[in-house]
Amino acid sequence: MQQVVNGVFLGSIYALFAMGYTLVFGVLHQLNLAHQAVFMLGAFAGWFIGVTLGMPLWAAVIGAIAAGALLGLGIERVAFAPLRNRPDSHFAGLISSIALSIILVAVGLGVFGPDTVRFPPDAFPGGRLVVAGASISVLQLAILIVAVGLMLGLDWMVRSTRLGRAMRAIAENDRAARLLGVDVERVTMATYMLSSALGAAAGVLFALAFNSIRVEMGLGIELKGLAVIIVGGLGSVPGAMIGGILLGLVEVGTVAFIGSSWRDAIAFTLLFAVLLLRPQGLLGRVRVREV
Amino acid sequence: MPGFLEELLRGYQSAVVFVGINGILAFSMYAVLIAGQLSLAQAGFASIAAYTSAVLTMEAGLPFPVVLVIGMAVAAGAALLLGLPVLRLRGVFLAIATIGFGEVVRITALNLDVTGGAIGLRPIPRLTQLWHVYLALGTCAYLFWRMRPSRLGRSLAALKEDEVAARAMGIDTVRVKLFAFTLSGALAGLAGALFAHYARFISPGEFGFERAVETLLFAIVGGLGHWLGPILGGGFLTLLPELQRELGIEAGWLRPALNGTLLLLVILFLPSGLVGVGRRIVPAGLRHRLDVSSVQPADGPTERAPEPAEIPAVAGDAPAVAVLSGVGKDYGGVHALRDVSCAIRSGEILGLIGPNGAGKTTLVNVLTGLTAATSGTVVVGDTDIGGLTADRVNALGVSRTFQQTKLFANLSAIENVMVGGHRVAVATFLARLAFLPWTRRREREHAARADRCLALVGLAGQSGAPAASLSYGDRRRLEIARGLCAEPDLLVLDEPAAGMNHVEAAALGTLIRQVAALGVTVLLIEHNVGLVMDTCTRVVVLNFGEVIADGAPATVARDPEVVRAYLGDAAGRPDHAEHGGPE
Repeated sequence: MQQVVNGVFLGSIYALFAMGYTLVFGVLHQLNLAHQAVFMLGAFAGWFIGVTLGMPLWAAVIGAIAAGALLGLGIERVAFAPLRNRPDSHFAGLISSIALSIILVAVGLGVFGPDTVRFPPDAFPGGRLVVAGASISVLQLAILIVAVGLMLGLDWMVRSTRLGRAMRAIAENDRAARLLGVDVERVTMATYMLSSALGAAAGVLFALAFNSIRVEMGLGIELKGLAVIIVGGLGSVPGAMIGGILLGLVEVGTVAFIGSSWRDAIAFTLLFAVLLLRPQGLLGRVRVREV
Repeated sequence: MPGFLEELLRGYQSAVVFVGINGILAFSMYAVLIAGQLSLAQAGFASIAAYTSAVLTMEAGLPFPVVLVIGMAVAAGAALLLGLPVLRLRGVFLAIATIGFGEVVRITALNLDVTGGAIGLRPIPRLTQLWHVYLALGTCAYLFWRMRPSRLGRSLAALKEDEVAARAMGIDTVRVKLFAFTLSGALAGLAGALFAHYARFISPGEFGFERAVETLLFAIVGGLGHWLGPILGGGFLTLLPELQRELGIEAGWLRPALNGTLLLLVILFLPSGLVGVGRRIVPAGLRHRLDVSSVQPADGPTERAPEPAEIPAVAGDAPAVAVLSGVGKDYGGVHALRDVSCAIRSGEILGLIGPNGAGKTTLVNVLTGLTAATSGTVVVGDTDIGGLTADRVNALGVSRTFQQTKLFANLSAIENVMVGGHRVAVATFLARLAFLPWTRRREREHAARADRCLALVGLAGQSGAPAASLSYGDRRRLEIARGLCAEPDLLVLDEPAAGMNHVEAAALGTLIRQVAALGVTVLLIEHNVGLVMDTCTRVVVLNFGEVIADGAPATVARDPEVVRAYLGDAAGRPDHAEHGGPE
């Protein structure tokens, strides 16, 4: 039971990170590999607000999310907008986002330095809850609630708001959406801002959960995020949610039953199995025929 | 050796070696990218070969050349085994699956004893010499230089442009992909083994995701348009840190920031990489000699197209090119085709008409092997094509065009047509490696054949133009030329007149009769009923997936059921007749 709680907790952060990936892919068919840099900078932004400025933790989380949204806007303008209308825009976007990722990580290194930073131990609320034989700290519970809340909020937004409807229209056919009066430019920017806000939120929550913030922290989760969006179905927001939590459970299970050194191998073996047996993912849709 | 070169080599020997090794890695990436496969498994393959060769050297003491070959073979074998399942995946899916493979390799190396775990292997004897590296790099360059104008090279390029069309042109895309993947594995393995015996120390961290991305960057920054690209890309990015050190830029955050910025500028402003810059500054004459994609057909008068004769109706007992018996195709609960039986007889121009949604394109896809029928059989010549892929059906002598043109957009018109002639072309890659004299002759013959097809459809002057730059009507005609180059028994035209005005459609009708006069049986699927009635010797009408009429054009046009299908039950009321029928 304790393992299940740990798995869901870890998985909810993976899911939050992966939803940012999958949102951009689902709407714009772009893979944004600068997402891991947003995750890292989100964590540092939260630390900066919470520790350097000495503001409360909720302000750190909100500030990190806002910083993420701004970063997302910048990523869209610098790495993706100039490539629109180019025939190889998908491929070129992949490369330009890698380039931007390198730049952002370098900037992070320049501003925050190479060392691991931490929140002071007394920054967190104390106390633990015991539910059905599993123990969870108040902090963990708060993180879980924020993560799940953000996920459900995004899902609701995509389903029910005007912006969400415009996003789904662009995902189907951006030219038709444009003809029907959707401001594709603005919705694209909004998509990147939302995506990066989620990435930064995942970063700051990860930082709070494990209290360790490093410039390289995005690399590990980048690959896991890719695995999650494939397992859940590329472009599917609920799929990323389920995939993330599934990955969390599998990792915790592997550590408990096989050994921690094989943790990541199991995750990628799972990814492989899904790709071969069900390439569209758990909740993905089959592509339409081509001729 | 001139003194300054000697000095340079002494001072920068490791940089010079790494330029070469990274160039080979870049070629391993190039091998899959020119086939349109975004695979990021190269670091994994390099890792497998590096460990295998290092262990063989340290434990078994095998000679270095043997160790290199075994390392390459193991990496190529791993690529083949990985390729069999994952090459069904496309684009981002393939990329992520291969990233997953790389991680599994890395984690396995971390956990095994024979690899030394996280500590890695050391000391590996330094057996790699500078000349080994550059011999290997030169071999790679030679391989790709000779490959591009061969049949295999064209197949790879076609696969990159459009996989479905490549298959329909008779290219066994699975084999071509596996070839690219295995070659990529072997080259990555070579780089890995050379690296291990130069660096003297390897650990799993050397071959992680970052190395995979770095390899991708070598190939992209260099450019995919030319075999020099990987050398330029690998060289440039490897020397960049050296250059920065010379300029006094300190390591730390500034260097990666500059690298990233430079990379961003390259991808935003030099879409074809460093070789794209080279194309602009290298003099045209020299460029022409180096440029391998130019094709010159053999000289000689182009055959004149035969005058469009009146194609006679074919007798009912004439031999059949293809026979469909009781063919059905269901998509879920939708019956796209129901019990369709019809024979396509040698020498005829068979028209297939029907309202939208009648199942015409489905029929074409079943006949050409792109989709499998749910029931019934299709026999082409003497062969039942059930279970055959589109390339195998093409090999039986069936060519096609597509309703929405599927040309290889970035290949020139003549290259498109030459790919279309895959079936009758001779495999020339291996012979080109050996510079055998007959290959040049054969390639010229093939180019001349393609040129004749272009001339037939009226595109003789456009052979060097990229397909994407042609006008809409020319693109449709180019597809017909591409279909003809395979010298098919049966040419299937899927709505070739779509979007044409009546003058262009009439010219198309003439062209189709010219094609038939060459002895090619034609199946013409059209919405333009007038064109079909004027051009075809026999007409089959489909409605709701069933054949409702089959006969001479004049007879079919008067068939009451056909009139009803096209005009609805209220046939005769002019306001309905205007709209052409149920949609």
